Amino acid sequence: MSSTEQGTSSAAPAEPTTAPESAAAPEVPESFYYVHGKDKVVHKVSAGALQHSALIHGMISNLGYTEEQAKANPFPFENIDGDILQMVVDWCNQHKGKPTPPEDTNLPKQKEKLFDLVLAVNYLEIKELLTYCCKQVAMMVKGKSPEEIREIWMIPTDAEDEAAEKEAKKRAGKEAAGETAAAAGDAK
Amino acid sequence: MPKNGFPLLKLPQLVLFECVENLDVLEILILSLLSKRARKVAQLNRWNISEMEWELGYENQISLSTPSDPCRKWIINYDRKNDTSKYPYFESELTGDYVKHYLFQNNTENNIEEMKHIVENIWEVFRAPIRYIKIFDESFIEWLLKFQPTILSLWIKEDVITSFETLDRIFKNLKVESFDLESIKTDKTTKVMEPIPFPYITVQNSYWLTLPAILNGSYTIICLYGSELTPKDINTILKEWQMGTKLQSLLSLEICTVTLLDAESCIREIYKDLNLTLSDRKDENPTIGNIHDENIYRRAQEKHRTLNLVRSDGTIGSITRSYTVDKYRKNAIYFRLFVW
Repeated sequence: MSSTEQGTSSAAPAEPTTAPESAAAPEVPESFYYVHGKDKVVHKVSAGALQHSALIHGMISNLGYTEEQAKANPFPFENIDGDILQMVVDWCNQHKGKPTPPEDTNLPKQKEKLFDLVLAVNYLEIKELLTYCCKQVAMMVKGKSPEEIREIWMIPTDAEDEAAEKEAKKRAGKEAAGETAAAAGDAK
Repeated sequence: MPKNGFPLLKLPQLVLFECVENLDVLEILILSLLSKRARKVAQLNRWNISEMEWELGYENQISLSTPSDPCRKWIINYDRKNDTSKYPYFESELTGDYVKHYLFQNNTENNIEEMKHIVENIWEVFRAPIRYIKIFDESFIEWLLKFQPTILSLWIKEDVITSFETLDRIFKNLKVESFDLESIKTDKTTKVMEPIPFPYITVQNSYWLTLPAILNGSYTIICLYGSELTPKDINTILKEWQMGTKLQSLLSLEICTVTLLDAESCIREIYKDLNLTLSDRKDENPTIGNIHDENIYRRAQEKHRTLNLVRSDGTIGSITRSYTVDKYRKNAIYFRLFVW
């Protein structure tokens, strides 16, 4: 892996980003793990914070890494954008060892960001955060008219869906024909 | 389609499920109307909408309710005449414990077709059948026959029925619990001898409904207004009921008819050869439950003298009647029998 354990911003520190220390620090030294997203920026996260993610928690339990091994082998999440992973890490840190409140107002307001966050959270299996995100998705359309809802949720009309399906079939047909031709060329 | 939206349909199924869980009934309905793919997503909802009521005519609206929260209703209404640029819009109304969530739609010429489409969608998305429909257009009968031939309550507005063939088609092809029929627009000479195959009937201008049609039915509640049944017919009904041979499941019978007989002769004719007793339980009038068992009501103490008729199996029927002369010098009888 090409990670250089860089920080998150352009003025990145040499050391990985560290989670803010919880006010009620545990007596036993906490173990830390490392994750990175598409941008390869490594985030240092405590095991307590990572417990929110069923996926990572499962990985940790199975691997039994020492801190040194964990540092040398950050968990790679190449399908998650760096800024989205940062949001997830921040959320896990903020809610480490705390009961989750019924509302979360810190979720991104930009719809594209929220979409990426939902996918990441679903992948990482962070149940409480997914619940907040889904509530936020539903809140987007409160009191909106059908056409506004169509626009907000980018729902194509049946005609648009049909056209897209036709187009996809056409493309698939062309690709299949191309592959056949290439195979025939190879055979010669 | 703008690029800065949220592509809901691209979410994984389980996430979609959780998003839909957070939507209200009207939002789910709107989503289902946007496209076929959106309808599939809307179908992931877990709302238990058990009842749909569709009223057409004076009020054009579809109401939805759930048994888990009887104080809440969702209503799609087409009858507001406000500034049309506002439509569609939402409004909620709180009255006591009751909350009504409205979606007001523009009342256009096409709203009937649109409402049919919405009702079909509701069926697909919430699996909710129509419990009650009030119709004002004959075309709805054919639509109903195809869409939902079993319905709890059907109300047909005045002049919707223009032929006895249509009426016959309804009787033969629909399964209805409660049937309300306002005046029909047919030739006045035709009479119907066959019973209406529904247990609760209320018929306005029921001149066409004959004695055999009443006696041979399995009715629980009969309300006939504008009837042409005679005092002698009423006497026959009472005798048959008393013998236990006809109308065994009858709970209530109301007949409004006119007669040429004077009051005394009319009463004598109605009660002829019947062993009646004067009711001695004035404080205990019969309790009649309506078909939905929601509004069981106790009849107020009768102003007129109540007579009792005891059936062969011991069931008691209480009879009250009034006799008035209207402005057209017609003698009107209002007759009631309650079984308890």
